[in-house]
Amino acid sequence: MVDQSIAGPVKVMAGASDGDRSDRARIVTLLLCLGLVIAVLLSLTSGASDASAVNVISDWLFGTVPDNAALRARDSLIVYDIRLPRIILGLLVGAALAVSGAVMQGLFRNPLADPGLIGVSAGSSLGAVAVIVLGATVLAPVTAWFGTLALPLAAFCGGLATTLVLYQVATRRGQTSVATMLLAGIALAALAMALTGILIFMADDRQLRDLTFWQLGSLGGATWAKIASVGPIIVLALAAMPFLARGLNALALGEATAGHLGIPVQRLKYTAIIGVSAAVGASVAVSGGIGFVGIVVPHLLRLLIGPDNRYLLPASALLGASLLLLADAAARTIVAPAELPIGIVTAIAGAPFFLWILLRKRGVIDL
Amino acid sequence: MIEARDVSVAIAGKRIVAGVDFAARPGEVAAIVGPNGSGKTTFLKALSGELAYTGHVVLNGGDLLAMKPVEIAIHRAVLPQATTLSFPFTVREVVKLGLVGGRSGVLQGEDARLPERALARVDLDGFAGRFYQELSGGEQQRVQLARVLCQVWAPVLDGKPRYLFLDEPVSSLDIKHQLIIMNIARDFAKRGGGVVAILHDLNLTAMFADRIFVMHRGLLAATGSPRDVLSDDLIEKVFDCRLRVGVLPAGDMPFVLPQSTVC
Repeated sequence: MVDQSIAGPVKVMAGASDGDRSDRARIVTLLLCLGLVIAVLLSLTSGASDASAVNVISDWLFGTVPDNAALRARDSLIVYDIRLPRIILGLLVGAALAVSGAVMQGLFRNPLADPGLIGVSAGSSLGAVAVIVLGATVLAPVTAWFGTLALPLAAFCGGLATTLVLYQVATRRGQTSVATMLLAGIALAALAMALTGILIFMADDRQLRDLTFWQLGSLGGATWAKIASVGPIIVLALAAMPFLARGLNALALGEATAGHLGIPVQRLKYTAIIGVSAAVGASVAVSGGIGFVGIVVPHLLRLLIGPDNRYLLPASALLGASLLLLADAAARTIVAPAELPIGIVTAIAGAPFFLWILLRKRGVIDL
Repeated sequence: MIEARDVSVAIAGKRIVAGVDFAARPGEVAAIVGPNGSGKTTFLKALSGELAYTGHVVLNGGDLLAMKPVEIAIHRAVLPQATTLSFPFTVREVVKLGLVGGRSGVLQGEDARLPERALARVDLDGFAGRFYQELSGGEQQRVQLARVLCQVWAPVLDGKPRYLFLDEPVSSLDIKHQLIIMNIARDFAKRGGGVVAILHDLNLTAMFADRIFVMHRGLLAATGSPRDVLSDDLIEKVFDCRLRVGVLPAGDMPFVLPQSTVC
């Protein structure tokens, strides 16, 4: 018999069988739901203005209190028209980025894949910037035809093109090379950014102001109209992802073995690529480049509940949404009354975390 | 029943398998033997639907080319030579992936404990909570076999036999586990399933195979029962090695054969 004391078995919890982490995953998911509620309440009550969400909610529940009616009306405006859309956008974008990261990691069979890191976000940005700069001239028919959907659609196309090229370059016979994937991602991102640079060079002053936030990422421009244009795309993409979970689990054994297990691998791959491109494209269209959510969130969760995508994907959505709300709350309060672009906050927190993953995995990942 | 007629496989323009006829019957262990690079694995990949081929493969009455992955997965399970994992799954989680198609064939409600039963079968009782990546090569191979067994736990489903495709199932195992694994294969066949195994150990092959297919340079060099196939001439021709079948080593040189198991 092998001496089991060397690497002791993972006893998960009393009652559950060894190596079965599904009970733990369910508990973590419940806690994440709770955390999300807390994050929402926190964002609802924090911000540059002293508007009290508590008052607004109590008014909504018990009717407006007559004294201070003007102040209450102002608070109501701030909460309904500024904070609430921003929170909903934060939820959508945070969930979309985290789940996209988890799905890409499953697809590339690699814990370092992230839409921001390997150029998918850069491709989406290129699409979005093209619509902003050329929307009135060369691309006028497109913007006329698609209206408010033109921007997320262009971002989707940019992201999709990047992901497809990346997958073709980095994958040979069902095996994805980490080094090729990261390097190809860098090349594609550089190309996309160069093209974006040309467009920015062509932009006029008003467009330049519009473009500034692409570089840094922000939830500041959140309006109900924007939510209406990208919300359905993100919700649809997110709703499709759980159906990929079993297939992505099998894919961890390799493409051939996933096929032997009865998974339609080609369809799985293309569904995943299109879903990720849609979710990332829509997110980039409204919030610019917010990095590292897609790599930090799934990685943390894998440490907690293991790599089973049936639990990892929903948990990523919850944690991604919560963390982005907290990052946004930090972005709004650190330098209040001004605000930091949220992309800076996620990068400051995420980049060291990414380095930490690299250090820990240096021996494991074949670079 | 699996029947392959005139199967050829070319990879990047180079012909690896040429015109192989093959049959695997329920109740039998079919062994594919041959030197390195003779096309054994490539042929098995064609048979499992993983590689494109020309010719005909019929799996339980259906044309393999016309079947979807999910249908093929009901009829056969495949053990590759080695499997690397990209994420830290526990042993139990890996074995449970065998149930992803949902047609193990055990009674309703018995699925939940199947990973443990499969692990016990391959002599890995108590390993469920370990991380796959921390195991030795031989242990990983047995974990994968447990996963494969989960996929086709019942050797017969809906009145049709099911098949185990094993690519060098014992190559990284010690002698005790070689015997355990080969006995699992034989037992699977006895209960009505079929086994197709690529083997290198000719003694194990002689002991467990009902029918041997010898491959040489992409062609089928011989086929038949172990007694018919394993001859001095064939071994010299195919393996390029002058060996005598059934001759004891000279003098007091010790030798150990799997056949010598004392029960």
